[in-house]
Amino acid sequence: MSNTEKSDYRGQIHQLQKEMMVEWYQKLDESATTGKPPAVSLMISGNCIELLEAFDVLPLYPEVNALQLAIRRQSLEPILVAEEMGYATDNCAYVKADIGAMVKGITPAGGKLPVAALALCNFVGCNVYTKWFEHIAEFQKSPLFMLDVPFLRTDTPSKDDVAYVVRQLHDLVKQLEQITGKKFDMDRFREAVRNSARVEELWSRIKHLSKKKPSPYDAYFDAISLMGPLYVYRANPRGVHFFEVALKEYEQMVERGQGPFEKEKFRVVLEGPPPYPFFRTFRDMFAKWGACTVASTYSTVGGLWEFGFRHDPQEPFEAIALHMIENNVTNRNYLQRYDQIRRYVEEWDADGLIIHFVKSCRLFSAGQGDMRDYFTKELGIPTLYLESDIEDPRYFSEAQIKNRMDAFFESLGHAPARTAAQLSAGKAGSGIPMVPTASPKLRVLN
Amino acid sequence: MRYAAGVDVGSTQTKAVIMQADGGEKKMIASALVDTGANVQKAGENGFLAACKEAGIAPEQVGYVVGTGYGRYKIQFGNTQMTEISCHARGAHFLFPNTRTVIDMGGQDSKAISIGAEGNVLDFVMNDKCAAGTGRFLANAADVLAMPLDDMGPFSLKGKNPVKITTVCTVFVESDILSYLAQGKKAEDVLSGVNLAIARRTISLARRVPVEPAITMTGGVSRNVGMVKALEDVLGMKLQISPLAHFAGAMGAALYALEKMDQDSEAGVRDGAHGTNRGN
Repeated sequence: MSNTEKSDYRGQIHQLQKEMMVEWYQKLDESATTGKPPAVSLMISGNCIELLEAFDVLPLYPEVNALQLAIRRQSLEPILVAEEMGYATDNCAYVKADIGAMVKGITPAGGKLPVAALALCNFVGCNVYTKWFEHIAEFQKSPLFMLDVPFLRTDTPSKDDVAYVVRQLHDLVKQLEQITGKKFDMDRFREAVRNSARVEELWSRIKHLSKKKPSPYDAYFDAISLMGPLYVYRANPRGVHFFEVALKEYEQMVERGQGPFEKEKFRVVLEGPPPYPFFRTFRDMFAKWGACTVASTYSTVGGLWEFGFRHDPQEPFEAIALHMIENNVTNRNYLQRYDQIRRYVEEWDADGLIIHFVKSCRLFSAGQGDMRDYFTKELGIPTLYLESDIEDPRYFSEAQIKNRMDAFFESLGHAPARTAAQLSAGKAGSGIPMVPTASPKLRVLN
Repeated sequence: MRYAAGVDVGSTQTKAVIMQADGGEKKMIASALVDTGANVQKAGENGFLAACKEAGIAPEQVGYVVGTGYGRYKIQFGNTQMTEISCHARGAHFLFPNTRTVIDMGGQDSKAISIGAEGNVLDFVMNDKCAAGTGRFLANAADVLAMPLDDMGPFSLKGKNPVKITTVCTVFVESDILSYLAQGKKAEDVLSGVNLAIARRTISLARRVPVEPAITMTGGVSRNVGMVKALEDVLGMKLQISPLAHFAGAMGAALYALEKMDQDSEAGVRDGAHGTNRGN
């Protein structure tokens, strides 16, 4: 069953992505030296890049810095620095890597990173981040803007919740006017939102291309490459260009019947962030089995667009509020995440689900044991549960993870083929009630 | 007559099995057990050769070898590898065809496997990054009590008032045991408490897969009668244990080897030569 296939696929899009991200780091370096353009720290989930674009402000994502350190295998040193400072072993390793790197002046690309002109904590779905951004503001002596985004508690956000976030966005505009010395330009803002809507449409089409057999790309590992431009350039014409190129490349691959592997043997859905310090090792564990990820929740951390949401240029502030409250995976509740995954398995016709538990991220990972039970026992979907960490290399045990992966694919190889129809006809509904597959909106189940 | 071998290179011991097929009838004709030690590759070879010797066949007569266990990729003379999860499932099914759940306790792993009617894996759970609830936990307890591992089972059955071992840490259990001994607790009660602590942890892990009867126990710890009793007490059910339970992984590997040999033979690709289809 096993082979030694490696995932060596590298398309035009990987090169373009690299160039754009290098350029972003160069701009950050320039900003660190000259103070221009100013940079604002913010978090990925429900990021309001459209407002920053309207002010020509650079986004500075501490999470991206942390993951870049990890993927380059440079994360342990800053983590240890943070632990020496007093951060507990159990703390979010993203926080520790970022704070440790900040204190020691370690940067993933080697250049300088600017002091944030504003620490903008849009703490969508993660309450640990409030402390992270307070610490960033404290260490860098940056002003702090705490954007309070209510957790999604109902099927759809209430009008009051939307109005509450919109009011704060207007306050944020005033703060951005202060740090940039520029007057807010509604037309530029609408233009940025229009760019985002275009990117979201292209990205969504790409997401649906992985329903094809074979999938033209891996919706976890390759999707992560696309996430950089999605968060940094979404509101910019360059983002639109990037995703036009990406869609075209993948459509051509579909026409040629080409995927990341010579032969797609398994189709899986992935839940949870990757073990960035062992990104390549982890990918090769899938490649060995010709296992292609056809959908992933991690690629919806920054925004959930494949089920229809787009920023609306006619109501740009409300669109940002809706993006933050409703349309990213981290601000939704667990049952909504279950339903998102169920749709992926059924509509993208996957053979199984792999859950990667992140040891130092209790917020994203807590409850994944129950999630595993739900998918195996209620829906009869083969599910593998793995544990390591997004950032801290000390939690990754290669032999153990490899053993589990091999056993999972061995068992899938012996299992009778499943179809979406069989899955739908399974025991769904015997425990947690499910919404119809065709429903574009996910529901909160009371 | 066709012969196939399964070699299970575990963290503590290496098990090798020779399976013979005569038409559709399959039977195990030899087994061997050696300590794994530092030279994993050598341990695999020694186990295989010892099993061949016991079977009274030359190694060349073995048509296909499947390696399993943590050292499986070091078995250079083998044809392919499979995880011990698949192999234990298959071995347990061979020993007891009514098996629906396998509880396997080895040196560093404890796992529960839910299996289908054909011995195929439906679901599995394992201990993660922690040796609590494994053979190593028992070995540490044996060290503290200065008792041979094989004596622990019968001795623990004498314990009438098991102490409460609250730690699940394989390292810290030593200090717990010392502390109880210092309080004057009887060694058998301490040991019985150790068994109960492991059993609770293992069964709580096993309940993540549907624990459906019949339940078969495999792995080296199945030889410990005290541990088996503790597991049955916590579970409230009897466990099926074969005298060959220790070899279930190697047996499953040998069964897969037979299957693979037959498939290759049918495909006319090859029949019995070594050295092909090696994984990484």
